[in-house]
Amino acid sequence: MNHVFPKGIPAFFLKGGKRVPGQPVKIAILGGGRGGSDLLEVLTRSAGTEILGIADKDPNAPGLRRARELNIPVMDNVVSLISNDEADLIIDVTGDPAMEQLISERKAPGVEVLGGSAARLLWYVVQHDAHMHNQLLQAEKLATIGTFTSGIAHEINNPLYFIMGLAEDMGDEEDLAVIRGHARSIVLGVQRISTIVKGLTGYTRVTSAEDLSNVELNSKLDEAVRLAQYATVLNDIVVVRGYTACPMIKAKPEEIVQLFVNLITNAVQAMDGKGTLSLSTHCENNTVTVSISDTGPGISKGLINKIYDPFFTTKEPGKGTGLGLHIVQTIVRRYGGQISVASEEGKGAAFQLQFPRSGSGL
Amino acid sequence: MVDPFGLPTKDSLGRVLIVDDEADVRKAANLALTKAGYQVLEAENGERGIEILNSEDNPFEMDLIICDIRMPKINGIEAISYFRSNYPTLPVIVLTGFPDVEMATSLLKQGVTDYLVKPVEREKLTLAVANAIEKRRRGFSD
Repeated sequence: MNHVFPKGIPAFFLKGGKRVPGQPVKIAILGGGRGGSDLLEVLTRSAGTEILGIADKDPNAPGLRRARELNIPVMDNVVSLISNDEADLIIDVTGDPAMEQLISERKAPGVEVLGGSAARLLWYVVQHDAHMHNQLLQAEKLATIGTFTSGIAHEINNPLYFIMGLAEDMGDEEDLAVIRGHARSIVLGVQRISTIVKGLTGYTRVTSAEDLSNVELNSKLDEAVRLAQYATVLNDIVVVRGYTACPMIKAKPEEIVQLFVNLITNAVQAMDGKGTLSLSTHCENNTVTVSISDTGPGISKGLINKIYDPFFTTKEPGKGTGLGLHIVQTIVRRYGGQISVASEEGKGAAFQLQFPRSGSGL
Repeated sequence: MVDPFGLPTKDSLGRVLIVDDEADVRKAANLALTKAGYQVLEAENGERGIEILNSEDNPFEMDLIICDIRMPKINGIEAISYFRSNYPTLPVIVLTGFPDVEMATSLLKQGVTDYLVKPVEREKLTLAVANAIEKRRRGFSD
């Protein structure tokens, strides 16, 4: 989240003061090193910007790899990107002193340039933003698990009671066969609790920096359902699955689970623990589509544009972080995807996510 | 079982219906209560619990219900409401894995006799059961 401009850099700041409403600002990025990669992350999170392309002499630069994953055009010829006359702005994060000269010689008339010290400043701001953003993702995960405490207490207290009851019974039991049977059951009870704890610690662990891998979405949906069951006291939800075997997407698996946990938790809480949760996946061409819908009270027309705003929530204070959907949107955009919602008051809500399949940018 | 005059009959100290969706929990409660001299019936959800209760010819045959809150298909809260309104002389003890003061208060106001949190020691459970049945017996003789 960009702290100065939470909704992205307003277009009029970038186009020399002349506001062009409705049109995204088209940006060419020179330099695919660390600077370019982080800049891509920030800009893809921002509405109102479109990245025309990114160029670097080195075809294996991290920024170029990231751009391919996000379906952003990649060039190894810096000059052709500079002279692209569709651009509104060229951002030079190459760190190459000769670049300034090259840009002024080859750029199309009317194109603004952000280079030199200004670009360096931007680089620092972007680094800070990227760092804060990762902190936010982690904080949100922990906060969400915090709201699950009562559900988790219930899940763990049940097997604990079972273990206690068996142990107390063994205390005055003489029949060895019964004692052995109880002992075996106690071991199973302990394993059950251990599985619950593993699920929670697996979810909250900090993910390391460059862990993109191929992620299979159906299994992540199931993982998220198992965690989201702790979100409510009542647990009378029917889960309907319509999964298709689809290609995988390129992402950090933990972030995909986090995104699904948020959506499913919202659905479960909206239904107050009672209703139908529908999960489905299907694929066509190069995209994989996930749908998550509930039979809760739905979202009113007046609120539907605000749901992705950070800290916007309709829940009572203390129940939920208000960040869930903001995080969902962030993660979806991070992986080149799109999210949409269909909802009417009284008729539940249906979220649809579309992701490019792994390898489709190459 | 207590007869209409409140005196325990010879088969057991009382008939208890335990309603919980976890078989393990029902087993643990069953072990403790059977050893203590009660006759235990089990139901895996509120719906089944209501079925068992309604199938009794004489509703006085059941002395106590022990019920969880978090269950599918007629959750505990709805089931408890049902028991309290249709069988007001039948005591209900809540046995839940979820300690919540607000919920406990509201349930106790609805006339639930006791609110126990899992894991609960045998002695605590049997004491709560004995007290609840004793109250019921006194209710008859008033």
